[in-house]
Amino acid sequence: MLLQLNNIFKWVNSGGQRIFLLKDINLEVEEGEFISIMGPSGSGKSTLLNVIGMLDSFDEGEYNFLDESVHTLKEKHRANLYKEYIGFVFQSYHLLDELTVQENLEMPLIYKKFKSSERKAMVADMLDRFNIVGKKDLFPAQLSGGQQQLVGVARALISKPKLILADEPTGNLNSKQGEEIMELFKQLNDEGVTIIQVTHSEKNAEYGSRIINLLDGRMI
Amino acid sequence: MMNFLKMAFRRLFRKGEHAFTRIISLAAGLAFGMLLLSEVLYYYSYDSFYPDADRIYVVHENFKMDQSSDKLESHPRVSGAIAPGLQAEVPGIEAATRLNSLGDHVVYTDDLNSYDASVSLADEHLFDVLPIPMVSGNPREILKSPMTCMVSQELAENIGGDVVGKVISIKNYPDKKLTIGGIFETLPENTNYTYDVLISMVSTEQFTWDGTENWMGNDRYYACVKLSPGIKPADLVPAVRAMQVKHQDIEKLEEEYQGIVLQYSFEPIKQIHANNVKDMIIILATIALAVLFVSLMNYILLTMGTLVTRAKSSAIHKTCGAETKNLQQMIFSETIVLFGISILGALLMIWALKPIAEAQWGHSLVSLLNPYVILPLVILIVLLVFVTSYFPGRFFSRIPVATAFRDYQQKRGRWKLVLLSFQFVGATFILTVLVIVTLQYNNMKNADHGYVAKGVYYGSTQGMDGNKIATVLNELRAMPEIETVGLGHDVPISGASGNNVRSTDGKRELFNVADFYEVDANYLSIMGIKVDEGEDFTSNQAVTNDVLISKKGAELLKLNNGWTDGVVGKQINITEHGSTSIRGVFPDFVVRSISDPDVRPSVFFYLPEEKFEELKIENPSTSFNIMVKAQPGAGDGLMGKITEVFNLGFPLDDAEIKSLEAEQLDAYKSEKGFRNAMLIGNIIILLVTIIGLLGYTFNESARRRKELAIRRINGATLYDILKAFISDLEFVAIPAVLLGLIGAWFTADKWMQNFAFKVPLHWGLFVGCSLFILLLVALIAAINYTRTANQNPVDALRQE
Repeated sequence: MLLQLNNIFKWVNSGGQRIFLLKDINLEVEEGEFISIMGPSGSGKSTLLNVIGMLDSFDEGEYNFLDESVHTLKEKHRANLYKEYIGFVFQSYHLLDELTVQENLEMPLIYKKFKSSERKAMVADMLDRFNIVGKKDLFPAQLSGGQQQLVGVARALISKPKLILADEPTGNLNSKQGEEIMELFKQLNDEGVTIIQVTHSEKNAEYGSRIINLLDGRMI
Repeated sequence: MMNFLKMAFRRLFRKGEHAFTRIISLAAGLAFGMLLLSEVLYYYSYDSFYPDADRIYVVHENFKMDQSSDKLESHPRVSGAIAPGLQAEVPGIEAATRLNSLGDHVVYTDDLNSYDASVSLADEHLFDVLPIPMVSGNPREILKSPMTCMVSQELAENIGGDVVGKVISIKNYPDKKLTIGGIFETLPENTNYTYDVLISMVSTEQFTWDGTENWMGNDRYYACVKLSPGIKPADLVPAVRAMQVKHQDIEKLEEEYQGIVLQYSFEPIKQIHANNVKDMIIILATIALAVLFVSLMNYILLTMGTLVTRAKSSAIHKTCGAETKNLQQMIFSETIVLFGISILGALLMIWALKPIAEAQWGHSLVSLLNPYVILPLVILIVLLVFVTSYFPGRFFSRIPVATAFRDYQQKRGRWKLVLLSFQFVGATFILTVLVIVTLQYNNMKNADHGYVAKGVYYGSTQGMDGNKIATVLNELRAMPEIETVGLGHDVPISGASGNNVRSTDGKRELFNVADFYEVDANYLSIMGIKVDEGEDFTSNQAVTNDVLISKKGAELLKLNNGWTDGVVGKQINITEHGSTSIRGVFPDFVVRSISDPDVRPSVFFYLPEEKFEELKIENPSTSFNIMVKAQPGAGDGLMGKITEVFNLGFPLDDAEIKSLEAEQLDAYKSEKGFRNAMLIGNIIILLVTIIGLLGYTFNESARRRKELAIRRINGATLYDILKAFISDLEFVAIPAVLLGLIGAWFTADKWMQNFAFKVPLHWGLFVGCSLFILLLVALIAAINYTRTANQNPVDALRQE
């Protein structure tokens, strides 16, 4: 078992009322799964992804990740956990504008305190693997959307995470670029990486082995 | 850290970072703040360069100027025998020395080249207390040998380098030849007692009356002692008293005068200068800290504003594994880069302002480069870097990831208004102080000093051939541009030494007067001083040593002597002059300057012109001034022409002519400098405040663009919107302005305590300054909010 969510509730208080963002979420994810989360806008997809990615807290329930009780961990330990095992891919790529492709890829390795020589080797491997060696010295603004997302995925993968969390990874791409990224996810999943993606696209959701539908914060 | 520094450098050139604005405002604040603070620290560095400076004390004598008062006046000079007496008779004093200044002189070498130098007589113990590294020569031997001297390295290099064995003379004492026995390293500028030429004290009688063995009177010796380790000045009191009893018969004197006559105190040499400029230190430090504080608040405000727009990057770093400390390191790196560039910019600005700063401070900026100045400044800057990076770093690392990836907008940040209000406080404070200082300076500069300075020129007869004085006077009188020529010892702006007026029975000293010594018949007319009672020295009845006294002195004489029929024609006795007849009374005038007036009554004694000439011929070292009153409208080149005529009396053509008007203006250079410092500080603070205000209103209009759009859609006019938004700002500005006014009032009040003549602190002045700041705030806010309010509200809502 990679992760397990038990009776997760998340809410905000507004105007004296409690508004639930997530309501009684129960989810078990095995290593190597490819899960697609679907639902209309405001249904809680991204919130759920952030909770799974430990970027957002929840108000009630239990969350176990690789047998660690996330809900009892302090922030520093939680950060260590997601730093070690989780990679993030975003709809808007979220590359650091002031860094080149190569430096963007290197960033997670710096935070994981890899030595400079190791970092250089790992970045070189990743540039090779994603066939973007020629782009290594370019800044994000000099790349197309598809290329930026490729770098985004490469950055998520560079520290060899067990889990990739992708929030509408093809949302800003054209259909061809989107398909390439989804094929890449499929390939990564085949190599054993667990993937949880949020998507509006039925077609992209089909790449997953399991689809979770959310409505008003509740799994249906 | 290197990666963060690299990123920080790249961010400098990114749009929206306001890097240039932040650097300029910070650099301006740092330049001004550092310059003022370094000056304050410089005051505390005085004489610290002497080894064991903590154990060195300057001997002060404390005495009653006025026997009817309990107040003791402190004077940093003592009689000649005091220093050796202290060393011989006071246990705990490790070494003692004395210096006797001959003043600033022109020194001539054998080849008749002239050099300006400060000349002092010093005893052979000088280097036991105040040692300076020697370049060549043995100081003890030199200072024991008659007519031997040593010179500073700077003077030696000016003369030609290897000067040991050469002979020099002083302009005022042309026949006294001094052999240079050694060279000492030039004294740093931060010293209370400076000299370029040190002459052995055993040569004293060659230059002036020898008071080296004098226990009382002739108190012109700068005496310094070095105490043994662990000894405090209070430990010396009984032995010093015993010395006074033995040598000064002090008990008898105290009985005679029925109270304290003379006491000695020991002032730490390192603290003397700082104590002398205590008020200036408080004011400069307040202004420096105000400017630095406002600049830093502005920097933090602008930085926080840019961090809001960078909220996403905080989240990206976090999802890449960054911890809180990593993000704080990132902001710290950016702060270091921005501060580094700002400090370079500040140093460039200081370099550009160097001539103005040096003219203002009266010393070179290089002299600030000593550990007592640099070390605290470096510590302060490091502290500022930490403070200015800590708060933005803390803020940046705490932006929630989930919200950062959406459209992160900061909530209504009261802290921003607090930071902004600090800037309003600073701006109001410095603007108000500037206005007060400017008014005070202008009033003092233009005030009636009680005598005429315009068109009056004078030159000293120091070094002039006495036999040529008559020629010079005749030539001057022959010049069509010159109205009157006269003679006198001193001019009011230079101040006067003192003597005591005795009671009619000669037993009591009634009061002390500012003694202008002798003047001729033309002096008062040149100075435009008119006699109210009696007659002046143009009268045929005037005889040598007749006295004119100021109105204040006349009143005191009437009061003390019970004279009801005036003072004219009465006989009085004044120390150093003996018995004399009062010929007239003149109105009080300003002695020295309005900022530092000598409030004693003043006196002039009569000496006919021919007697002045005789005196100079008999005693060539005597000197007085030749005074000249120019015709109204005399041309610009007059000073040059006067100098040429003066040079007829100077064998080496080295006459120096001064304009009384220029000297009077120069007496207020400290106030002018302070006004200029205020002006620069004011420009910087206003600039920084405007930048801060622009940044704040820009961020606010972006944050509240939805609100602005909704208001517009619901029918609000531009006026309604501006009124609502500007009111929010003025609500914060008004209390801040009031705080600034209170600070300004306290500071100005403290500063004005230095002046007898004070410009009134009218309430209208405070209201005017407040209105200026409040209107400035409203204007900048109106410009920025108008731009946003005029945008299409539909576009603004679509962006939401």
